[in-house]
Amino acid sequence: MISVRDLRVSYGGTVVAHVPEFDLATGQVLGIAGESGSGKSQTALALMGLTRYSGGVVTGSMKLGDVDLSTLSSKQWRAVRGRQIAMILQSPRAALNPTISLGTLFGRTLKLHGVARAERHARMEQALAEVMLHPQILSRYPHEVSGGQAQRFAIALVAALRVDVLIADEPTSALDVTVQSEVIDVLRNLRESHGTAIVFISHDLAVISELADQVMVMRGGEVVEQGTTEQILREPAEQYTRDLLAAVPVIGRTR
Amino acid sequence: MSGPVPDLAPLATSETEGVPGRRRSWMWPGWGAAKRVPLLVIGLVLSALIIIAGVLAPWITPYPEDAGAVVHPTQALLSPSAAHWFGTDLVGRDIFTRVVFGARVSLGIVVIVLVVSAVVGLSVGLAAGFFGGWLDAVLMRVTDIFLAFPALLLSIALAAVLSPSALHAALAIAFTWWPWYARLARGQAASIRRQGYSDAARILGASRTRQLVRHVLPNASTPVFVQMSLDAAGIILTAATLSYLGLGAQDPTPEWGLMVANGQPLATSAWWVITFPGLAILVTAVAFNFVGDGLQSVFDPKRGQR
Repeated sequence: MISVRDLRVSYGGTVVAHVPEFDLATGQVLGIAGESGSGKSQTALALMGLTRYSGGVVTGSMKLGDVDLSTLSSKQWRAVRGRQIAMILQSPRAALNPTISLGTLFGRTLKLHGVARAERHARMEQALAEVMLHPQILSRYPHEVSGGQAQRFAIALVAALRVDVLIADEPTSALDVTVQSEVIDVLRNLRESHGTAIVFISHDLAVISELADQVMVMRGGEVVEQGTTEQILREPAEQYTRDLLAAVPVIGRTR
Repeated sequence: MSGPVPDLAPLATSETEGVPGRRRSWMWPGWGAAKRVPLLVIGLVLSALIIIAGVLAPWITPYPEDAGAVVHPTQALLSPSAAHWFGTDLVGRDIFTRVVFGARVSLGIVVIVLVVSAVVGLSVGLAAGFFGGWLDAVLMRVTDIFLAFPALLLSIALAAVLSPSALHAALAIAFTWWPWYARLARGQAASIRRQGYSDAARILGASRTRQLVRHVLPNASTPVFVQMSLDAAGIILTAATLSYLGLGAQDPTPEWGLMVANGQPLATSAWWVITFPGLAILVTAVAFNFVGDGLQSVFDPKRGQR
């Protein structure tokens, strides 16, 4: 589905993220773990083609199916974003324009991506059911919904757009623990019912391990360890990964 | 779909409980909020009366023809009476009629100034704040040049160059008014451009134009609209100033500032000629100020009492 080779993101000549390679198949989840400044969010921006808007440069290849994303123009990128790749953000409520209702936002987004008027309503209702939201939420404004509802709404948008790849940049970090697990469940559903490939970025290996098939650990812009979730959790090769794992609370274990 | 049976989470939050089905719009916090600011209610009522009086002027005034170039030499400078509530002026025209018609002129000037400066100011400010870079630098330096001159002096100079008329006075005021809106809109646009929802629009495939029009414009313009309501009073005063100096509306236009200027030599012998137009300026300016100030309190809980 998506394969990346020797991806480098740089600002003014300084490389802030370097990903040698990864391949992600339909319905698979790649977890990217790392501390602040490890380059994981820059990797996400590069995958969305948004690096250029913050003044950065991307080299290397990113293939989505047969298309090499790194050669796309701004206009071509626009046709990919929201149709094949989408992203959800850390603070879900800040990601919603306070001046328009969720229903208006939903309708306009579907219209932008060429969904016929007659089909829009059914798509919205189906997508909202998938994320366990009542259709009534469409009449609400962003200040009238909770953070968890807003994040599930964002995922509903992604489900309705039927994108191939979803990039989730710290989607649960701003939410409390019970709401976190709701969002994880909803992402799991999305992957199972639509086969969406997910790049799940978090500083929290415990959250990543709930969802990911493969894990990539980043530090200081470099990938320090990469493998299946099993491998990484059972036999971490790097001290840094062991430190991250040690930070994961496990019930019944005393340190 | 796997997972537990969809449990449709209750939507009620503390904010919406108790007002079932009530639509709360971002534009208008509702009458409840307005009523807590009594000055806003007073201002709104007064402003509404002034606007209605201006609109209905030909039907509610006793001598509508006196708004134009007519002369009644036999009735010059009559003091206030049942026939002429506010008295008559030097050429015998009913001052009440002219004051009511004057609302049309003043409100017209306010509308022209606000529309012209909002369109120019928002365009310049949004472009600068949204696109940033060299465009921002160029547009903001131009704005700074305008702001560097004392606004009233610049308006007077411009009005003096143009032939004096109410329209030209309005354009002269707008010429110095827009840079404030440009500055305000630029700051808003620059901060909103970095908001999550602005990024989210890009992520969902929106173009730059759509991002600007649908997301930045509506959010950046609210403070500008509030500022506009605060400025209406200042525009009335500035327009009256220009007319008073002979640079705005010309006789026989029933403009309040002009009426005060014409009545000034008579101040000691016929007090009513300057008093009523002067009061009209005062009441209108106060009413608009109440509205602007009240709106700001309603929209910004940090400022003013709630």
